[in-house]
Amino acid sequence: MSALFDYHALAPELILAFTVMAVLAVDLMPVPKYYAAVTGLVGLFASIIPLLTLALCSELSFCSDNGARLLFGDSYVVDTFSLVLKGLFLVSAFISLLLAVGYVESDRYYQGEYYFLLLASVFGAVVMASSRDLISIFVGLELVSGPAFLLAGWRKGDARSNEAALKFFIVGVLSAAILLFGMSLIYGVTGELTFSGIRAATVGGELPAVFTLGVLFVLMGFAFKVSAVPFHFWTPDTYEGAPTPVTAYLSVGSKAAGFVGLLVICYSAFANMRDIWGPALWIIAVASMTLGNLIAVRQTNVIRLLGYSSIAQGGFMLAPFAVASMVEGVELEGALFATVTYLLFYAFMNLGAFGVVMAGMSKVKSAELSSWSGMAQYAPGLSMLVVIFFFALAGVPPLAGWFAKLVMFQAIISGAPNVWAVLLGVIAAVNAVVAFFYYAKVVKTVWMDSVPVEIPAAELGGSGLNPALALALGITAIATIVTGLFPGVLSFFGEATRTFASGF
Amino acid sequence: MGDWLSEVANWWFAAVALAMGYAAYRVVTSANVVHAVLALVATLGGSAVLFLLLGAEFVVWTVVLVYIGAVIVLFLFGIMITRAPLGYEAELDHPPKTKALAAIVAGAMFLLIGWTLVDAFGTEEVTASVTTVGDIGLQLFGRFVLPFEVVSLVLLAALIGGIVLARQDPVDIEDQR
Repeated sequence: MSALFDYHALAPELILAFTVMAVLAVDLMPVPKYYAAVTGLVGLFASIIPLLTLALCSELSFCSDNGARLLFGDSYVVDTFSLVLKGLFLVSAFISLLLAVGYVESDRYYQGEYYFLLLASVFGAVVMASSRDLISIFVGLELVSGPAFLLAGWRKGDARSNEAALKFFIVGVLSAAILLFGMSLIYGVTGELTFSGIRAATVGGELPAVFTLGVLFVLMGFAFKVSAVPFHFWTPDTYEGAPTPVTAYLSVGSKAAGFVGLLVICYSAFANMRDIWGPALWIIAVASMTLGNLIAVRQTNVIRLLGYSSIAQGGFMLAPFAVASMVEGVELEGALFATVTYLLFYAFMNLGAFGVVMAGMSKVKSAELSSWSGMAQYAPGLSMLVVIFFFALAGVPPLAGWFAKLVMFQAIISGAPNVWAVLLGVIAAVNAVVAFFYYAKVVKTVWMDSVPVEIPAAELGGSGLNPALALALGITAIATIVTGLFPGVLSFFGEATRTFASGF
Repeated sequence: MGDWLSEVANWWFAAVALAMGYAAYRVVTSANVVHAVLALVATLGGSAVLFLLLGAEFVVWTVVLVYIGAVIVLFLFGIMITRAPLGYEAELDHPPKTKALAAIVAGAMFLLIGWTLVDAFGTEEVTASVTTVGDIGLQLFGRFVLPFEVVSLVLLAALIGGIVLARQDPVDIEDQR
């Protein structure tokens, strides 16, 4: 460790940590409730600023060194890859917070600590993006999931919320234990904690079988976190039972954190173990997209539908990985670019979709698809948003999703002559069609079906949208449309992360 | 085998390991929560003795203080404060089919992990290098200061979240007035 502590590199974390504490303090002061939320929003915004100064370091006069900054003996790395992902976490936290403000404050279970826990979880995700050793990434992951368990059970008197939290907690603890056991086996074999050290220790030479076991345990641990099939069974119940803004955060923020952990650990620590994690990820990717989609088709509840669809989308994100690791000659950079780009687009679309669900629930008091029928007749604006987000998730041009699907297929096809790559491409294509079917079903119900008779006409329309929710919907809708027309806006960031893979 | 038996430490190991195995079995089979927790104390105590045989004193005291001293006491407090029913409970059991499945999975995992561990480390000797508390402290506040600080936030979040979930609803308090 150098004598000078690199405060610039750690500035986003420091500001965010300060914000977490400030939110807690503001909540105790005799000020209006929304001050805590505003503090959180300002803090998130403030911690994005050092991300920009770090990214543009070479252009600025006060900033001297360039490139990746290695801190704490290679345990903590601040490079363009981690900066892009930190940006993703902070922006999606910003939107999740906006989604939550109206919901939490109108709820009878209002407590200001909601914002504290949400921001603490985001802090964990930000730490994970830079972690390059086993201890840091595990601690970061625990900080992501710990507060999330509590948030899922926020509605204390609601049995389904309790069930959501308990399932999430038990599965989360089990997966953490498996992950940690795998990590300890890897440390036992290599004697190294940093990813670069593990990679160096596994070059050539025979490794004992216990190392393979360790790698598989680590994969299983992360597969639980990203709710990949067959480790997905907790997801739909947790998504449905948890308060909807929490579900939105789980399906984007905490899921993305799991993906980042998986990406980083596979690419950097297990770079020489491709023949172990490649086939495992291939199976997980195929199972996730197929099972997720097939079950989603039969869902009658919009939140459960989005839950299963997020499992399927996770399969799409893993697909480029699986191909790049199984086919000789395919560069990992392409797969990394595809997965990160998919993640960036998915974050906006999915947060927006959950925002629409929240707005819809404030109108008809139900997330059952049947009660949403004919919504276009009394809420045309909201129904337009349903079209935007659900078609974007389905990948209909010119909305954002098509580009994410395009780069995903490009990455798969780059391994084309190989049987496994072709097979995966075909399965992914079939799944994209199946997915379109159920996303379109929601749009059809909202626009084409007639209003259910049992709902009294006076109750329809409901109250106007909460301003924070409207702002969140506006941001995500604009992002979905603009990045669909000009995908370069977001894929530029995906492009920047290629340097991470090319470093090896 | 003759060599193995001549070493006194191995006898200690065998005795402790057998006792631990039985205690661990009691943890999952006991139909009384408090008995299960006490069996867990014995299991963790056994693991502390194993670390002592390996010469890792610091880990021993960590296990005793943190696991036995704090975590188990927390379990007992949890049982006490939530007014969970004490004593034998028939519902604290699974149908035989589930039990058989659990036994198969646990046995398979034991064989898999045991075999691979012996395969990897079976012939290695434990070198008696002493790691002092001072060394650990220097590492903790040097290279690992960041995860150390993050852990403090994990604990704070768990503490505050626990209080939030456990305390009475603000609405309920108003109702009572």
